[in-house]
Amino acid sequence: MGNKQTIFTAQQLDAYQDCTYFTRKEILRLFYRYRDLAPQLVPLDYTKQPDVKLPYELIGSMPELKDNPFRQRIAEVFSEDGQGNMTLDDFLDMFSVLSEMAPRDLKAYYAFKIYDFNNDDFLCKSDLEKTLNKLTRNELTEEEVRMVCEKVIDEADLDNDGRLSLEDFQHMIVRAPDFLSTFHIRI
Amino acid sequence: MSSPLDRSDSGNGFYSDQESLRLRRAPSRMSNQNYPQYNWRSNPSDDEVGNAESPRELRTLARPMAQKKALRQVQQMRMPVSTSAKSWTHNKTKSLHKLKSNFREFLYFFSLWRKSLQKIGGNFGGGVESYFLFLRFLVVLNFVSFLLIAGFVIVPSLVFRSAGTSLNSTDDGPCMKYNPNPQGLVVFYEFFLHLLSGQGFMEDSLMFYGYYNNNTAMEEGRLFYNLPLAYLFTAVFYFAFCLCCIIAHMGTAARVVVATGGSTMGNYSLIVFTGWDYGCLGDQATKLKQKNIYYRLQVDLEEERIKKQAASLTPWRRVALYSLRVLMFLISIGLIVAAFYGIFVATEFSQKNNEKTGILGLFIEYLPSMVITAGNFLVPLLCDQIALIEKYSPSVTVVVALLRAVVLRMVSLGVLLFTLWSQITCDGNTEAMDCKMCQYNVDKYPCWETRVGQEMYKLTLFDLLVTIALLVLVEFPRRMVVDNWSSKLSQLVGRQEFVVPSNVLGLVYGQTVVWTGALFCPLLPLINTVKFVFLFYCKKITLFYNCRPALKTFRSTTSTFFFLVVLLFGWILSLVVMIYSLAVIHPSMACGPFRFIPTMWQIVPNSFYSLSKVTQEFLFFIGSQAFSIPLFALSCVVMFYFIALASIYGRSVAMLKAQLKLKGHDKQFLVKQIEKMKSSSL
Repeated sequence: MGNKQTIFTAQQLDAYQDCTYFTRKEILRLFYRYRDLAPQLVPLDYTKQPDVKLPYELIGSMPELKDNPFRQRIAEVFSEDGQGNMTLDDFLDMFSVLSEMAPRDLKAYYAFKIYDFNNDDFLCKSDLEKTLNKLTRNELTEEEVRMVCEKVIDEADLDNDGRLSLEDFQHMIVRAPDFLSTFHIRI
Repeated sequence: MSSPLDRSDSGNGFYSDQESLRLRRAPSRMSNQNYPQYNWRSNPSDDEVGNAESPRELRTLARPMAQKKALRQVQQMRMPVSTSAKSWTHNKTKSLHKLKSNFREFLYFFSLWRKSLQKIGGNFGGGVESYFLFLRFLVVLNFVSFLLIAGFVIVPSLVFRSAGTSLNSTDDGPCMKYNPNPQGLVVFYEFFLHLLSGQGFMEDSLMFYGYYNNNTAMEEGRLFYNLPLAYLFTAVFYFAFCLCCIIAHMGTAARVVVATGGSTMGNYSLIVFTGWDYGCLGDQATKLKQKNIYYRLQVDLEEERIKKQAASLTPWRRVALYSLRVLMFLISIGLIVAAFYGIFVATEFSQKNNEKTGILGLFIEYLPSMVITAGNFLVPLLCDQIALIEKYSPSVTVVVALLRAVVLRMVSLGVLLFTLWSQITCDGNTEAMDCKMCQYNVDKYPCWETRVGQEMYKLTLFDLLVTIALLVLVEFPRRMVVDNWSSKLSQLVGRQEFVVPSNVLGLVYGQTVVWTGALFCPLLPLINTVKFVFLFYCKKITLFYNCRPALKTFRSTTSTFFFLVVLLFGWILSLVVMIYSLAVIHPSMACGPFRFIPTMWQIVPNSFYSLSKVTQEFLFFIGSQAFSIPLFALSCVVMFYFIALASIYGRSVAMLKAQLKLKGHDKQFLVKQIEKMKSSSL
């Protein structure tokens, strides 16, 4: 593997390789994807660590994300400022967690954050209702939404406080064989 | 000691002002309640703690990227303190990891059809993708086994045939008459008939068993290749190799099934939190996925209502329902038995009248294949109608339908083989008039192995032709009709759905036919590879042009395991056939590498005695009781150790789960106590 690229220093690439689940080639490929979103904003030389942030509208227009009903939450969870505006670090972090190599616990942690709409570290009834409506495109009736939310809390709430904590969520995810393959964006 | 990354307060994760503002975190990303806290103040001399957070574990931390990079810097600063031995092992593991990731990149490049599978998975979901993954697995398996057979049987046979003397059957005994080449002029269209039926020029070629000789080539006593022994061992090794591949593949699929315990509780929460496929691409696919989830939730709510209803049935109606189910079960068994009888009659008729030539002869040749295909097509349709009457719950209906289809396919093939066998060996009665002379029916089957090989070849070919015909004559027209002619009927019929289970059974059936025929037709794995590659592209085209995504999806992880279990059934069936052919039936005397020995397996003892004395003694020792009984005892001990280990792990998992629940209760209790004390102290 030749060191012909001039975008990152060798130490930077090594650091990215250690901190994400990507190989050198994939990191470079992702950099070009990031740059394609806004070529005039993103410089070709990252050796000086420029402070470049792409606004949420550009991130949300990526083909892998634009039809995902949770794209706003995903961008908010992985961005530094919590508003969805992402630096290259955040971008790499996001796709690393959503890649097929990331372990279950890591994915479960971030999935919990994504579904926690009000950021209070618990999945309460209103969070569940919002999730459900996004999942079914508002097609369920009020009565059905209420029933399903009740059933979900019934099944997963271990400490009986009426809302799901991270431990409850992780405990439930262990029993889902498909979670690793569904919480996965191919890029 | 104060490192520049000292925490200023107890642990809400904000860095001191010395760090750049970039590292400040908004509350959404760093919450103190659920974050595992990292202890910055651990001693640099405490090597265990430092080395525990090795580079591979950095990426599993649920922290922002910049924090991970900072952690990495801290680790690297600590590196010089560790001893030289530790740093050497650390370097070696690092280079090993690099090698592994490079190897992974290399393999990724070679992975077949990766982009197509991505596209299929994004648009149609994991269930359909699992079918195509299974197909890819079979293609690779067939190709590798073909390379095996080519290396050990075909290439040496070609080489020695051209170099050595060909063994012409100068012996004119009654069992030796066999001439595969047709006499006189061959009409042109007969070329195609021979291509399709495996006779004529194809019979006397590398394709079939009859071509291979039993000459063991010797060049001045130095080069020695025992072709019959190689043929036998290659066939046996081919089966063992396929079994190993299947079990290895099953192991990776089973790991997930075992880890999750396979419980059905938590249905709703699983649908809500893991139902959405983040890899779903495109507006249309997204809308369909949402409809899918909506449908699943509705179905679950509906199943609950049905359960409540069923529990409230009067005993009279319950008896009526059960007796109806028993009746339907008997009817489905009757249908399957009728199909078997049809196959049996067709095979007998075809074997009796195979002297006819021309198109009629071809038709009679293909009669068993046609009846099998018709049965495999009609009976599941009728069984589906029966299932509507039986009124099981949806999940049970799917399992029952699959079981019926599997039984039908496997045993119809078994009936065909049984009929062939009874014709060849006069129903196993070697004293019958036809079979007395040569231990097999020499009038009809001067070279019976080639005939069996031809039957398997015809089955494979016919399967492919039927698939292509269905594609061209049924699926494309259906889509064109539905799209362009809007009427009530076309709305009712609708665009086709890609039904995964029946397609998978077709693959398993094709693979079983190949396994059965590989001993008699060595080129069959190659033909099957080409067929499956062709099938991949055909199915992909029909998927994208003709099918709509299914509303009811198939579970992707447990289904891979199920496909492999069914494949294993097929393997067992073909193993039975192979063992029987090797050990019991007398090989043909007019053709093939096992000409002058009473059974195929006999070549092994015969060659055994030509080995050197030392090797013989060694092999005798391995087979004797002094060696095998201690070996058996040792393997029992190892097996019991693993069973005990597995049960202990299971028990500790259950205990930890109970502890988790208790911890939650305790937390609640303590919170209540605190509130009580607060309110009482006010």
